[in-house]
Amino acid sequence: MTAVDDVSFSMVADAPEVLTIIGESGSGKSTLARMILGIHAPSSGRIVFEGEEVSARVARDRHAFMAKVQPIFQNPFESFNPLKKLDRYLFMTAERFGRAGRGNVERVCDEALGAVGLSLAEVRGRFPHELSGGQLQRAAIARALVSRPRLIVADEPVSMVDASLRMSIVNLFSRLKREFGLTIIYITHDLATAYHISDRLIIMRRGQIVETGEARGVLSAPKHPYSQMLKDAVLTPDSAGIFRSSVQSRL
Amino acid sequence: MSAAPILQVRNLRAAFRTHHFGVRRDVPAVDDISFDVRANEIYGLAGESSSGKTTLIKTIAGVIKPPLELVGGSARFAFLPDCESLAQASPAAVAAIRWSKLAYIMQGSMNVLNPVRRIGKTFEDFALRHIGSAGDFQQRVEAHLQRVRLEPSVLRSYPHELSGGMRQRVTIALATICAPDFIIADEPTTALDVIVQKDVLAMMRDIQGAMGASILFVTHDMGVHAALTDRLGIMYAGRLVEEAPTDVIFRGALHPYTRHLIASLPRIGDRSERKSLTGVPPNLANAPPGCRFHPRCPLAVDICRVQAPAMTELATQHRVACHVVTGEAA
Repeated sequence: MTAVDDVSFSMVADAPEVLTIIGESGSGKSTLARMILGIHAPSSGRIVFEGEEVSARVARDRHAFMAKVQPIFQNPFESFNPLKKLDRYLFMTAERFGRAGRGNVERVCDEALGAVGLSLAEVRGRFPHELSGGQLQRAAIARALVSRPRLIVADEPVSMVDASLRMSIVNLFSRLKREFGLTIIYITHDLATAYHISDRLIIMRRGQIVETGEARGVLSAPKHPYSQMLKDAVLTPDSAGIFRSSVQSRL
Repeated sequence: MSAAPILQVRNLRAAFRTHHFGVRRDVPAVDDISFDVRANEIYGLAGESSSGKTTLIKTIAGVIKPPLELVGGSARFAFLPDCESLAQASPAAVAAIRWSKLAYIMQGSMNVLNPVRRIGKTFEDFALRHIGSAGDFQQRVEAHLQRVRLEPSVLRSYPHELSGGMRQRVTIALATICAPDFIIADEPTTALDVIVQKDVLAMMRDIQGAMGASILFVTHDMGVHAALTDRLGIMYAGRLVEEAPTDVIFRGALHPYTRHLIASLPRIGDRSERKSLTGVPPNLANAPPGCRFHPRCPLAVDICRVQAPAMTELATQHRVACHVVTGEAA
């Protein structure tokens, strides 16, 4: 079965951006993310990171590649081991990626947590269930920042986060791009948050790119029929009563 | 709108109570909630995760299992007027109204279908006892499936052979086949794609209109509420904080939490900065005293820290629980 079919795009190294990949479930966006992360190898075609093919680079030194390209997953409660304290995760990441020796490991982790609006004091000694979904997702982002990556692949990072905290995570991605020059691939099915933070946008359907371009342009005036359908299906506060009127007109 | 409510919830309280290793924990997940659902309306319940939405409707539906306990109050259905709450009704009384009067579309309901039973068999399990004879039954099911735009052939299918949207339509058809007076729907479209979701919601509205049922619709998705519901109740940390007709909530919400919730919704075409509230929803095992929103509230004053505000009707059909808002209005 073909999950991702003939997809091509590129991102420029010195121009940090948020690239959003949008599509329905089964459109191949997560498979694409896993190939970029080097978890799956493409059946054909090439993914090139910093001039070298990802699969070759992973085969040569997976560790060094992981330091540069970090994932953030959908459900932070599933991405952390519930029996392991959060500070251990951060310390281990810092030590494994050679960011810190025993002396400065705490400082490195505190800096990463500071970048996401947390502090080491807040997470020290705490288990994942002791934090809210929003806080835990921030901690997951902090963990990804510890290795000083250049590219972050965030697969539906806010779909499990409460509505009132969702925008704070989304805004955080914009800030990381601005302040740390991070390039972010943001995978989502939520057009509204995508409109807010993305510079460029790719709309996928059944493994293929149906439309791509500058995010605001694409979302304001989608050209492809599927993109138009996707935009029309978004329910916002402004869609008040769309179903009510349809019933009344029929009666 | 008819006068008599089909569901009357009065001062309903339910809590998760555990007693392990000498430690008593009491989590008041539903705390003093009162509201009515009228005949032939869709009443929406909105709130973040762990705000008690699902616990509230479980309590209303009488699906109470330890450690959840009913602490007080009543949830009275018009079709069962002598019964304070379904949790206290006799099994025979519940069996008589279940599915024929009251249907429940559960969260993740695509997964409630028995995977080793054909859809047709599932329809028999749920509805045959309530509707006529076996011969007549088949016809009725097929006619009803047309309403949700499904072919009769799905009755011979197993759940895994259907797509998510089709399974969702099957569960909606299951819930509506006996033409119940009241349908409880707990996040029925959360797992669906936006395009399928719009389809399913439009269909629920159609069926509700055609049958004249009432729906208690729970979701955290404010866009869905805006599109579908007639009235909306906003929950925060186990309490109802505001209730009004849906368009009033979106145009002129009064409670600071509701206002914030709506202001934080991102919209296509508007790129202005969206602020999130500081702080996090409280842990109900150790809920803040007074108004539970006060630690995050930009308007909080002294009284909010000690006394819980009561729901006060400030305008017709518009109730708010906030000291500051009601104080200004007085």
